[in-house]
Amino acid sequence: MAYSDKVIDHYNNPRNVGSLDKSSPEVGTGLVGAPECGDVMKLQIKVNRETQVIEEAKFKTFGCGSAIASSSLATEWVKGKTVDEALSIKNTDIVRELSLPPVKIHCSVLAEDAIRAAIRDWKTKQEQTASKPVETKA
Amino acid sequence: MRAAHFCESCGKVQPPAPTDYFSYFGLPRKLNIDTAQLEREFYRLSRKLHPDLYARASEQEQEWSTERSSLLNDAYRTLRDPVARTEYLLKLEGVQLEEQSKAATDRARESGGEKKQVVPPELLEEVFELNMQLQELKLSKQMGEAADERVVRDLTAAKQGFEARLSGLDQRLQQTWAAWDERSGQRHEGDAESRKALEAMVEVLNTRSYIRNLVRDVNAALEA
Repeated sequence: MAYSDKVIDHYNNPRNVGSLDKSSPEVGTGLVGAPECGDVMKLQIKVNRETQVIEEAKFKTFGCGSAIASSSLATEWVKGKTVDEALSIKNTDIVRELSLPPVKIHCSVLAEDAIRAAIRDWKTKQEQTASKPVETKA
Repeated sequence: MRAAHFCESCGKVQPPAPTDYFSYFGLPRKLNIDTAQLEREFYRLSRKLHPDLYARASEQEQEWSTERSSLLNDAYRTLRDPVARTEYLLKLEGVQLEEQSKAATDRARESGGEKKQVVPPELLEEVFELNMQLQELKLSKQMGEAADERVVRDLTAAKQGFEARLSGLDQRLQQTWAAWDERSGQRHEGDAESRKALEAMVEVLNTRSYIRNLVRDVNAALEA
């Protein structure tokens, strides 16, 4: 099966590979998988609490070229967006951008899931820290 | 309910009729099957349907025997394998394994709720960590370094653990078969017990595909 040029580009030069500090209150982590192919994808975002803007995004994916390209693109897209804007990214947007064939649509689904899961994790952390007394740094 | 492969009066091969693999072998839609019996039936039918036997028959009969033979091979290959048989039953019962992740995402998006992950998070965590280890091993080999003995030991132990889990999952799969087969005969549309059995099969197969991949990847990394 032939990959599109954009998939190959993201596969050869994946953007934002790496990880962020999982325990940081500013960081949200999404770990998702598709049993259809056995892929796993981790996507992390660092969000500015004041502006709600995603300032940093990292990913690490074990899977096929399309899964890697989908998550690489996802990190590019969420950066600079607010969390609410990022939630509006749909898997079909990724399919269109990367010209994914029907058999690879689940890769784009995985990327959308990863964004949502990371944002959910971050939001949960915000609620937890909001209910806790604020610690002041000495 | 044996499928009619041959004409009852003249014994000629019949055109392939739309049928499922179970009825092709005259079997009820149950998952516990006598594979020795299945094999015997396969060989018996193979001999009788073999296209060579029809070399002198009409073109129509030749075509039918070819089609039936290829269907026979597909049916046998699917039914003799426990996992393929289960996947096939799920397909017959309208469960689309390839679509489940997307379907769950669509549902979550529509309802605005959380997506129910089809794989347990602990398993994903484990798969992710192991893949990190495998990548490290691959990288150090590429750099021409000798594989870290500790890493190799860890991976070998992990592999044994996965293999044990694989056989545990196969046992669990058989338990789901029993639950399904028990309902055979008294099944009705939307039967809750049958649904539950099908869902349990999906769950086992989902986990199984991850563990199977891990065993494969660890083997590849250790042998490389």
